[in-house]
Amino acid sequence: MTDARKRSLRRELEAIVGRDGVLSDPEELLVYESDGLTLFRALADFVVFPRSAEDVAAIVRLTNREALPFVARGAGTGLSGGCLPSEGGVVISLMRMNRVLEVDYDNQIAVVEPGLVNLHLSWAVGPKGFYYAPDPSSQQACTIGGNIANNSGGPHTLKYGVTTNHVLGLEVVLPDGEIAWLGGRTRDALGYDLAGVFVGSEGTFGVATKVVVRILRKPQAVKTVLAVFDEVTQASEAVSAVIARGLVPAAMEMIDQLTIQAVEDAFGCGYPRDAAAALLIEVDGLAAGMESQVERIVAACRESGAREVRTARDEAERQLLWKGRKSAFGAYGRVSPAYMVMDGVIPRTRLPYVLNRVNQIVETHGLRVGNVFHAGDGNLHPNILYDPRIPGEEARVVAAGAEIMKVCAEVGGSISGEHGIGLEKADFMPFIFSAADLEFMRRLKDAFNPGGLCNPGKIFPTKKSCVEVGPVPYRPHAIEEKGLAQRF
Amino acid sequence: MADAILETLRGVVGPANLLTGVELSPYVVDGRTPTAAVFPGSVDEVSAVLALANDASIPVTPWGGGTGVGVGAPAARAGLVLGLRRLDRLIEHEPGDLTATVEAGATMQTLQAALTTRGQWLSLDPPDADVATVGGVLSANAAGPRRHLYGTARDLLLGLTVVCADGAIVHGGGKVVKNVAGYDLPKLFVGAFGSLGVIVEATVKLRPTPDAEILVAVRFGSLKDCGLAARAVSASDLLPSALDLVDGEAAAALGLDGDRPALVAGFDGLAEQVRWQRAEFARLCEAAGGGEVRDLPAATWGVLPTAARRALAEPAAVMRFSVLPARVAEVAERAGATARDAGLRAAFSAHAGVGAIVGALAGPRDAAEAVAAALRDWREAAHAGGGHAILEAAALAVKALMPVWDQPGAALRIMQRIKRQLDPKGILNAGRFVGGM
Repeated sequence: MTDARKRSLRRELEAIVGRDGVLSDPEELLVYESDGLTLFRALADFVVFPRSAEDVAAIVRLTNREALPFVARGAGTGLSGGCLPSEGGVVISLMRMNRVLEVDYDNQIAVVEPGLVNLHLSWAVGPKGFYYAPDPSSQQACTIGGNIANNSGGPHTLKYGVTTNHVLGLEVVLPDGEIAWLGGRTRDALGYDLAGVFVGSEGTFGVATKVVVRILRKPQAVKTVLAVFDEVTQASEAVSAVIARGLVPAAMEMIDQLTIQAVEDAFGCGYPRDAAAALLIEVDGLAAGMESQVERIVAACRESGAREVRTARDEAERQLLWKGRKSAFGAYGRVSPAYMVMDGVIPRTRLPYVLNRVNQIVETHGLRVGNVFHAGDGNLHPNILYDPRIPGEEARVVAAGAEIMKVCAEVGGSISGEHGIGLEKADFMPFIFSAADLEFMRRLKDAFNPGGLCNPGKIFPTKKSCVEVGPVPYRPHAIEEKGLAQRF
Repeated sequence: MADAILETLRGVVGPANLLTGVELSPYVVDGRTPTAAVFPGSVDEVSAVLALANDASIPVTPWGGGTGVGVGAPAARAGLVLGLRRLDRLIEHEPGDLTATVEAGATMQTLQAALTTRGQWLSLDPPDADVATVGGVLSANAAGPRRHLYGTARDLLLGLTVVCADGAIVHGGGKVVKNVAGYDLPKLFVGAFGSLGVIVEATVKLRPTPDAEILVAVRFGSLKDCGLAARAVSASDLLPSALDLVDGEAAAALGLDGDRPALVAGFDGLAEQVRWQRAEFARLCEAAGGGEVRDLPAATWGVLPTAARRALAEPAAVMRFSVLPARVAEVAERAGATARDAGLRAAFSAHAGVGAIVGALAGPRDAAEAVAAALRDWREAAHAGGGHAILEAAALAVKALMPVWDQPGAALRIMQRIKRQLDPKGILNAGRFVGGM
């Protein structure tokens, strides 16, 4: 872009969002060159900070006139490069649209802006006994809008579902700059379920500017169980054994030995260091029957070979156990200079087989892996540890990651459970989708985004890429350095 | 339709699986008889039939059990009925994964019976389960009382195989319970009434069969009190699996005596959870002016969603409302008053906790004008209740006087573009869906 054109566009953007709402200096733009997956980097021409749907619409109309690509961005905690300006253009940061606009407790819904931090919604409705159920591990930083783009999950999705199960309607700025409501405040869509299709479209269908979400009443009771195993296979089998006893826990998380040791070194959360694996299982709901559910879980774990099963005695112990789980990623820093988190899904009955395969693959590449993941819904997060200073090591991580995705696909699973496809996995899409499937998705995209300016270069396999793609040396993202977010 | 095409279709599905002439009487919709009904025996045959129809621009109406096929504007011209009844296998059920993959033509009852033998169920309980098929239920976004706790098809459908208008076979979603790879195609087909493609296979999320389950009713003096009690339940620690509100007419159709509204609640789980909830429900209802808690037979579950429809001997119209849950009683009261003022009979049942109301309306045979006028007001009531309403069933004379579908607003433009992208010749349920799509 010529300097003259850039100056003139900057003036036009300032007219929409004000002088303090536009970034165009390369140094300032650097903060926005990647998301939580720092392997991919791309620079925008502008980052703009709208305060209303009308602002967003005006920006989008301008990008259309100028044939500039644009992409919406929340907190930038994504892990697939989904919010990168991979073909340049304009990044629309929603961080100034972060209000809770309305809470309707009678109908158990809230209307919020997309830049609202996930956890802040639960804080806002907490005093009245409510919360927002989807709880990605980055919930202290990630935004509702980003959650919508990726259809984010979290540990408690086993029972409560993912983002899409909690979104009733959205006001969106479509890729041509028109504003429309998809869905609304009531449960059943009229016509096609466009809100349902929009959630998880990774920012390629438009920019959400208002969101109607369901809020839930906090459960009457919660119990958290820690089961400790000497073999990973026993822990994997316990997951199925719990399900076979007719239970659907709120969460069922697995943590392997490498991760336990890292967590214990860092935080001392009470996990036994010599365990091969531990399961953190939580049940919630009515107080009545809580004890017998816990008994069933304990029995299932013991039958699968658990050497120790204990229930958190109080909220403090429960929080400590969860701290161990949620801070696992940060703890890897103790054992490795860097790591890359994978995200794949398998049928949970295939856990024993797939975990073995993952370990073999990583070993074959001369690397180490730590596993901490949503075992209940088969959502794996192998974290491959490596040293970016060693030439070639990052390339081996990327290669091992691709092989792990292939295994997930082979057993009938998926290449992403919650992190999205973005740039990272676009070329893996053929592992699970046929040419006809992808062609169908392209047509759907063309219905929303016929000009293709809205978040181009994502989801669909392509060899063409204008971004700096790995292996490039790892360096932590700006928000990581500031301690604002960890990678999950 | 040219005889040559019929011959080709016969060749595809076999002569026994193509019906014409008088055999078509079960497939008449809104007074229109199709040219033929074909019943393919495989996904490839479905694909071949659609490719042929698309080439010749022949309208196609996908047909499961026929329970929801009346929903929609009358078709402009006759075409093919594409019946899925021969695709009825349970392809896979892995209890440890809590998932099952089933062909679209299987009835809900058949599917549930197979799942039950292994201690699981699909937590979706639409009416007419003995006839309604999996594909039809998904396409119509049909649900029942247990949606209160377990959600609707959009929450339970993990993946599907569809045959597109041009015969292309496409998979969307997957077989695992959590998956964000690619666009969420299952959402697109739920409630699309077969207008974007024909669902031939679905993978669904299952739940373990609960240890215990009860259905109970409490009578109230007015719909308003009933609605207040429903709101008190929603605001409590209770986790009912169902929370239905029925007016006096619908209550009578459920076999409850006396002409008073009732709040009907279901509870499931461990026996002790069910016991505690029943007692707590009784306490809340009493505080809201309700009577005794009465246990209902298990068979009542299946007839709850159709209580309003069956309360009237021959309803002239049935309307499905989606409103804010807290407004259910108010909307039903207003709609009831409108009907009475017009000299018409009405009955209402609602999944109160989720704001889904079914209203049925009946009057003299020549009352189409009055019925349509009342329905227009009902739609207004739905808007006032924060939502919308569609005509689920109506006499042709009524459909001629008022639109079947409500207005989706600015989103219609995107819906039309999706339709054009996926069914460019407009053969799938041509002209019957929202906005004339």
